[in-house]
Amino acid sequence: MQYGMIIDLERCVGCHACTIACKAEWEVPVDFGRNWVYRMGPSLVGTEMASTYYPGLCNHCEDPVCVPECPADAEEMTFTDAKTGKTATVEVAATWKDPFDGTVQIDKARCLGCGACADVCPYNARYINPDLVDDVSDEGKADKCTYCKPRVDAGLEPACVQTCITDARIFGDLSDPDSAVSRYVKNGAVGIEPNGGELGPNSRYYGKKKDMALLMETQTPELANLSHVRRRAMLASLVKPAMKKAKNIGLLGVVGAVIAKGVMDSNKEE
Amino acid sequence: MAFNLTRRKFLQSASLAAVALPLSEVIASESGIQRSPLETPGSFQDKTVVGGICEMCFWRCQLTGKTRNDRLVKIEGNPKSIDNGTAICARGNAGIQLLYDPDRLKYPLKNVGERGNPKWKRISWDEALKECGTKLKEVEEKYGPQGISVFPHGSTAKYPMHFFERAVGTHNVSEASFFQCRGIRDTAYVATTGMPPGEFVDMPNSKAILLIGSHLGENVHVSHIKRYIKGLQNGAKLIVVDPRYSASAAKSDIWVKIKPGTDTAFLLAIMNYLITEKKYDQDFVEEYGYGFDELAAGIKEWSFEKAAKECDVPAAQIKEVADLLAESAPGVSIHPGRHVSWYGNDFQRQRSLACLTGLLGAYFVKGGWVPGKNPKVGGVSWAKKEHEGEHNLNVDEDDEYLHPFSPPGTPTELIRDAALTGKPYPIKGCVIWGQNPIQTIPGQEKMKDVLRQMDFVMCVDVMPTDATMWADILLPEVSYLERYDYIKTGTQWNFADKQQQYISARMPLVKPMFERKDQVYITNEIARLMGYEKDIPVQTVEEMVEKNLEVAGLTLEQLRKEDGIHIREGKNPYQMPEDFEVMFYNEDIEDAGFPGIPTYVTVEQPPKGFLRLLYGRVPVHTFNRSQNNIWLNKAMPDNPVWLNDALAAKMGLKDGDVVGFVNQDGFKSRTTTTVKTTPGIRTDGVYMAHGYGSSNPLMSVGVDAGVDDTSLMTKITVDPETGAHGMRNNFVKITKDGKVIEIPASA
Repeated sequence: MQYGMIIDLERCVGCHACTIACKAEWEVPVDFGRNWVYRMGPSLVGTEMASTYYPGLCNHCEDPVCVPECPADAEEMTFTDAKTGKTATVEVAATWKDPFDGTVQIDKARCLGCGACADVCPYNARYINPDLVDDVSDEGKADKCTYCKPRVDAGLEPACVQTCITDARIFGDLSDPDSAVSRYVKNGAVGIEPNGGELGPNSRYYGKKKDMALLMETQTPELANLSHVRRRAMLASLVKPAMKKAKNIGLLGVVGAVIAKGVMDSNKEE
Repeated sequence: MAFNLTRRKFLQSASLAAVALPLSEVIASESGIQRSPLETPGSFQDKTVVGGICEMCFWRCQLTGKTRNDRLVKIEGNPKSIDNGTAICARGNAGIQLLYDPDRLKYPLKNVGERGNPKWKRISWDEALKECGTKLKEVEEKYGPQGISVFPHGSTAKYPMHFFERAVGTHNVSEASFFQCRGIRDTAYVATTGMPPGEFVDMPNSKAILLIGSHLGENVHVSHIKRYIKGLQNGAKLIVVDPRYSASAAKSDIWVKIKPGTDTAFLLAIMNYLITEKKYDQDFVEEYGYGFDELAAGIKEWSFEKAAKECDVPAAQIKEVADLLAESAPGVSIHPGRHVSWYGNDFQRQRSLACLTGLLGAYFVKGGWVPGKNPKVGGVSWAKKEHEGEHNLNVDEDDEYLHPFSPPGTPTELIRDAALTGKPYPIKGCVIWGQNPIQTIPGQEKMKDVLRQMDFVMCVDVMPTDATMWADILLPEVSYLERYDYIKTGTQWNFADKQQQYISARMPLVKPMFERKDQVYITNEIARLMGYEKDIPVQTVEEMVEKNLEVAGLTLEQLRKEDGIHIREGKNPYQMPEDFEVMFYNEDIEDAGFPGIPTYVTVEQPPKGFLRLLYGRVPVHTFNRSQNNIWLNKAMPDNPVWLNDALAAKMGLKDGDVVGFVNQDGFKSRTTTTVKTTPGIRTDGVYMAHGYGSSNPLMSVGVDAGVDDTSLMTKITVDPETGAHGMRNNFVKITKDGKVIEIPASA
């Protein structure tokens, strides 16, 4: 099974309901977004005038570039298929691709907050959420669209799909050939691949030819420079677990934590 | 009460506003050490409260709330709704940021500074109401009821408006929704078909949709957009007439890049062609038409060529539109528009649209203009007392109407001119309720002078606005999420589905906070103080709603049981009323001294070197009302000015340049915005979203964001038939770093 989302640009009116509903559902900090809507144009595509939208979100890629960059120690995790109850135990770092539903998820408790995954994502779909702090990271944790996994597992639609005023967002199982999303793929819905990449994005777009051309022309991203990303990740993997250990054994203690919070708050004032 | 707190400091001190804070910081600030949960739980596990009706805009979608510890954490569309369903727009979703906005009005305030430059002092409700009641009574006694003017907006403003209009007896009420928005449309259609048209076009079932200036998509009302997109998905052809490649133009089959102000010429040429080529609906016209021959004779001169020259579009394109409409008739949606106060020639354009709909036989047919049959509920309010007909500013000494097709109330300019001249009588009291006349009505400085000369100004609102700065007494109102009032009725949005009707009443999703009160309480208390106690129609807003529901055999308790929405069987919407008539020629209009058939009136063109200021909407804002909403502000923080790219290149301007404006009267914009260059706009105008550039520093998020387009409208145009404003007759030059960027002579 592979969850995917279709954005039908013929239906989308660029209203931003999806981005605000997401903010409310998941208490996303004001300056960040798990999804976004950009308006492109009006500009000329060939000789035709065009204007359309890029309602973006995590692509929950077939071959996500973010997952292998996570420097957190791999641990065994048991996954459960929400539909069948089947389980599978896999060794994963703090971010992974779910073996059952194909979504890409993050374990915030184990996330080091290093930002490697966010840096490597060509879509800028990840951000470091400064509100999520613990002994591992005072700077926040990686965060992003989960395809509303907790809602979907509970039998609901993703919040953005539920609120979409024109039914322009369609969510479902891309591996089921009879699903609405698969029908869209058959009719030509495509993901945005980065230049030179083969990530297999599972959030896909469908629209008029000129609108799709405008979308691809303006929104096709470049792959990140891996050596930069990896250097940062490596540093984080060395430093952060050490900090955690220090705090755990009470070297800083209550007083230290209060000071740490003070420092954090004063940083934010700037 | 100190108001010099920064937003951040306020957040830190006001635990009641904690929803605006990340949970982690709340816990951390309380205990000092405790960390937040790393995963937010999601609102779907929270308690559902039903009965909400949105008022982030006037469309009023049906809501449910998710509450956690009595705090509203999310707003959703009511799944039982046959109107908006589970969908709500960005503004609807952002309602909780209005509810918990730390800048919201909390207590009654008295202005101990000056109007426009206020210093606020917190006072008790007793003191505030006493001041309002006493001061308004003084005005009434000294100048008569006509000395009180009212600027209302929104569903809470109806009750106080009726009090001042019906019980006290002033005509001087200026509703923005009429005089700066849709009033012209409504009276033009009433003068043609006897009915105000709403936006009642059956788009889901239509073969062609004609939008004149309507930019659906940038202009968002949920079930209306559902109808529009359903129509396009069902294969309707879309014709968009707009000087700009709008959100709708981007979905169109034909974009008519019309010269601003010339739409009526375009419509007359289409009608003339339909008539001369006998492509109109002859059966319909014979059965329901009146004055067809007068129309046919009167518009004979309007060839495609003549219109093409006037409208600056190809004659062949006008023909293409006319043929498409004729082929698709009668299943065509000739959209009546909504905000139509454009050029001061608007009554005639709206008449043209109503007549074109008639020529195409597109009333009460599938895909045409179909109002739907709504259930009836009550309308309890103040009883209309006998007031003498005099003191109506819209009637002259000879008992003739100055603007005979004025919507209800009194045309804004007549009120303002009387206030400023004291003739025919002084206007010295002002009640502003939910409206922002500073950023809504053209002639901002004039409005300020009007307010300056008042003996007393009171404002009631949920948020500080540019208008609340002019109050002597400022009263905090409960928001739509915390009160009863409005009853929303309607039908399922797609007439192709099973015919159903619904009745839903606004019920609070959460309890009011601070000292905010509702409109019935505030109005009744003022009424008592003014000596109108015996006229009070209801004691509480809840009682008003119960009485209105009773007419439909419902109660609030019953509605609650039915998840907030009562649904019943509907009626065939396509049934034509027996006495339906389309007045192609209307002799009443002619008797009043205006053209009896739709007639094109030219508008002033930009002086050399100037660009016409065009404005419109963005989907995340309801004008200035939502500017301080932090989620919506972040989504579209300013209003970039659209400038033709070729022209921009000649002027040396590029995307992102920070610019201001100076208009034809030398008025300079107070703030700046950025340039958006595009081939998708004509070279004789610029475009920006309306409602930005608020000047009230108490709006810590929205203040000075973008440019206030209304501030640049110093030239005031009035549509003569209706007395409503024309707001697109101002012209600007672009400034950068304080210097005017001239348009090169070659451009």
